[in-house]
Amino acid sequence: MEREGKSMEIIKATVESLDDKHFIKIETGIEEINIPMSEDNPNEVKSAFNKIINRIKGGEFQIKLEEIKEDLFSQVANEYIIQLNREIQEVHGEMKEFGL
Amino acid sequence: MKIDIHTHTRKCKSGDAPSRDISAVDFCETILSTEVRIIAITNHNVFDLDQFEEIETRMGEDTQVWPGIELDVLDGGSRGHLLVIVSPMLAKEFSEAVQEITKNSSPDSFTVTIDEVLATFDAFNPLYVAHYKQKKPNISNELLEMLESKTNNPGCVVKEVTNSISAGIYISHGHSSIYGSDIHDWLKYEEFSHDLPDLRLPVDSFEHFCLLLKKDPTTINTVLDRKTSEDLVLLPFDDSSILEIKAFNDINVVFGPKGTGKTCILKAIAKHYLESGIDARVYESASDRLDEIFDIKGRDLTINLDTHSINYCSDEIEALRDAGEIAVTGLSKYVVYFAAKSTNRNAKRIMLKDIEPEEESSAKREFSESNEAAKTTAKFLEFLNKNPSMKKELDTKELTEVVRILSELLKRLLKREWNSFSGWKEICLLNSAIRAFRNEVERKTGMPAKPTTTGFRDYAMNRIKIEINAAKIVNSVDTKTAIQTELVGSLGSNKGDLQFRTEFKFQSGAITDGALSSLTGVKKGTQKKFVNCVRNILKHTYADDLFQHISELNEIDDVEDIKTVYELLLFKRYFAIDGQPYSPSSGESSMVMLQKELGTDKEVYILDEPERSLGNEYISDVIVPLIKERARAGKKVFISTHDANIAVRTLPYSSVYRYHGQEGYSTYIGNPFTNNLVNPDDEGDQLDWKKISMRTLEGGEKAFGERGKIYGNN
Repeated sequence: MEREGKSMEIIKATVESLDDKHFIKIETGIEEINIPMSEDNPNEVKSAFNKIINRIKGGEFQIKLEEIKEDLFSQVANEYIIQLNREIQEVHGEMKEFGL
Repeated sequence: MKIDIHTHTRKCKSGDAPSRDISAVDFCETILSTEVRIIAITNHNVFDLDQFEEIETRMGEDTQVWPGIELDVLDGGSRGHLLVIVSPMLAKEFSEAVQEITKNSSPDSFTVTIDEVLATFDAFNPLYVAHYKQKKPNISNELLEMLESKTNNPGCVVKEVTNSISAGIYISHGHSSIYGSDIHDWLKYEEFSHDLPDLRLPVDSFEHFCLLLKKDPTTINTVLDRKTSEDLVLLPFDDSSILEIKAFNDINVVFGPKGTGKTCILKAIAKHYLESGIDARVYESASDRLDEIFDIKGRDLTINLDTHSINYCSDEIEALRDAGEIAVTGLSKYVVYFAAKSTNRNAKRIMLKDIEPEEESSAKREFSESNEAAKTTAKFLEFLNKNPSMKKELDTKELTEVVRILSELLKRLLKREWNSFSGWKEICLLNSAIRAFRNEVERKTGMPAKPTTTGFRDYAMNRIKIEINAAKIVNSVDTKTAIQTELVGSLGSNKGDLQFRTEFKFQSGAITDGALSSLTGVKKGTQKKFVNCVRNILKHTYADDLFQHISELNEIDDVEDIKTVYELLLFKRYFAIDGQPYSPSSGESSMVMLQKELGTDKEVYILDEPERSLGNEYISDVIVPLIKERARAGKKVFISTHDANIAVRTLPYSSVYRYHGQEGYSTYIGNPFTNNLVNPDDEGDQLDWKKISMRTLEGGEKAFGERGKIYGNN
């Protein structure tokens, strides 16, 4: 297992707000990924997903929310990132399977 | 089979080159490395019996070695060399005779007169081979006439000349001529031997050779009868007259002036064989059909991509064209869920809804792996039990042990398979239950359930599949296939081999070569746009505009014509020399078509004037050797010809001569060995084969000149 060989890379995420709009900001080190929370914007989410897929190609990682507060959007972000991490792990496994 | 009637194994005279000396062992090795199978040892004024016997013993049945001597004749002031060759059965007596006649002289000083030669050797019934004209020092015409008039075997006096052309010219003028290597340096013998005379008829012994030389009819007919032949009864002409010919598994020639029905005879021969179920058709030169014969336009051209390990990508193309975007979970669902925390008491009690779903894919993969391993092992066990080779290689104990280990392995794998299957299904059940409970709580309470997925997994997997499909297509179209090269034939030593080349290329998206045609008829523009779209899809698989490129792919005109990468193939076919495109002239087309005909493995070849559009040099250097090679392989070759190069140089076993005179058409049948052409309706009506062929055939005299290479004494 890869995780036994080297420690999993952790990428930081924060909950950001700008002009009453809340979003999850993920710092990949290469580019910034923003996932809007206060509005449904599938295209922006897909765009963020595309960046995440490209990032997975560079190696498996997990996203860690910096500070989990009690406010609504922190709770949403926390839950969303928990699920996203699980799915990143799955996608990474599939990619390995396909030799990508 | 070649013959060399003049060789030296020892440096006898002071003027002889040391390189003429050769040991018996080296002599045998050298000769056996060539096609020479009859050789006469003719040292200057010496016969070395010990060496001869050693050579004869070493050669065994492989090569006939004939004893002989090259004598210095000095008679009436005229000096020349004369070879005297005798039967190997008389080697001892011959040796004694040589010792007797040479006992008071050295090889340098020894000379002999014609009378002395006759007195000493004529009783051996020898073959006399006299240096003639340009072959120095030559025996004068007077001495030669004396030898011929006084010997008991005038039919065994032959003139030795310098090369094949001279031999042929003298033969055409009625002189029995031959040439030998007269080897000076044995290191060069193998190369030199290629030019030595071929023997057209099999020669069993020295005595047999002498009989053939004398044109003894019984001997010739016996030799011909040994050759496989069949009698053909043909009805070639409109007047229903029957023509009976003996067809040899060798070369059979029909010759005569134009308009005498030669083609009719060939057609009748073809019909005869076709009716017997043998592939036989009359080959006629048709140089303008070369492109058609080779299907240069590729009408019937196909290629099996599997044999080139190229994936046809049928599923991949279909999947790519059908690809659609996958929806993602809106984040508002999360917001709504957390904003409206359920206050319903019962809902709070259902804890299952709050459990996080588990990741399914790795459990599924583990099951798939163990399932595959178990299946393969079971299959191998079955193979092991059934395959006879395994049972031959392993004894019962070994086989039992292998089966035991594999059975144990299979048992464990099946256990693992079951465990992984139940583990996977456990997760599926759990996740399904979580979803069901969340949905139920949502339905009953009116409060939104917590989403079970962000949608990332499905979204990513959809794009991954698109990448895989596009990559497979690109990989296929980027595979190079080797140029297929077919040898069409030789255009002679100057130009070399003409090849027919077929190049297959996939439209890469950048190919603009107008010489390339679409293999399947799909428009080249469609092919090009398709490949460029697929490349763009691959490049933008994880970009926001991916589906724009997929839409572009689907909007290409006639895109539905492309179902596999096969429809993206381009090809060009062309003739080439040294890899460079070349357009053969009509003469060259005739050349190679004839070679192709003769290169096809058949039992019967029927060639109607194969010389048409061809040069003499090409006929002599390429076609005649090919015809002879077919004949040597025991094939029946029928040729109608006006060309002496073919009729004379091949020395056909059977010749049919057609003639039209004042009394109408006549047919004569014969061969060059008896030198007769006989009218089957009147056996007294005979013609001279040599004279008729020289008169009738184009280039007759010259062909006889060339023909000296093939030993036949006409």
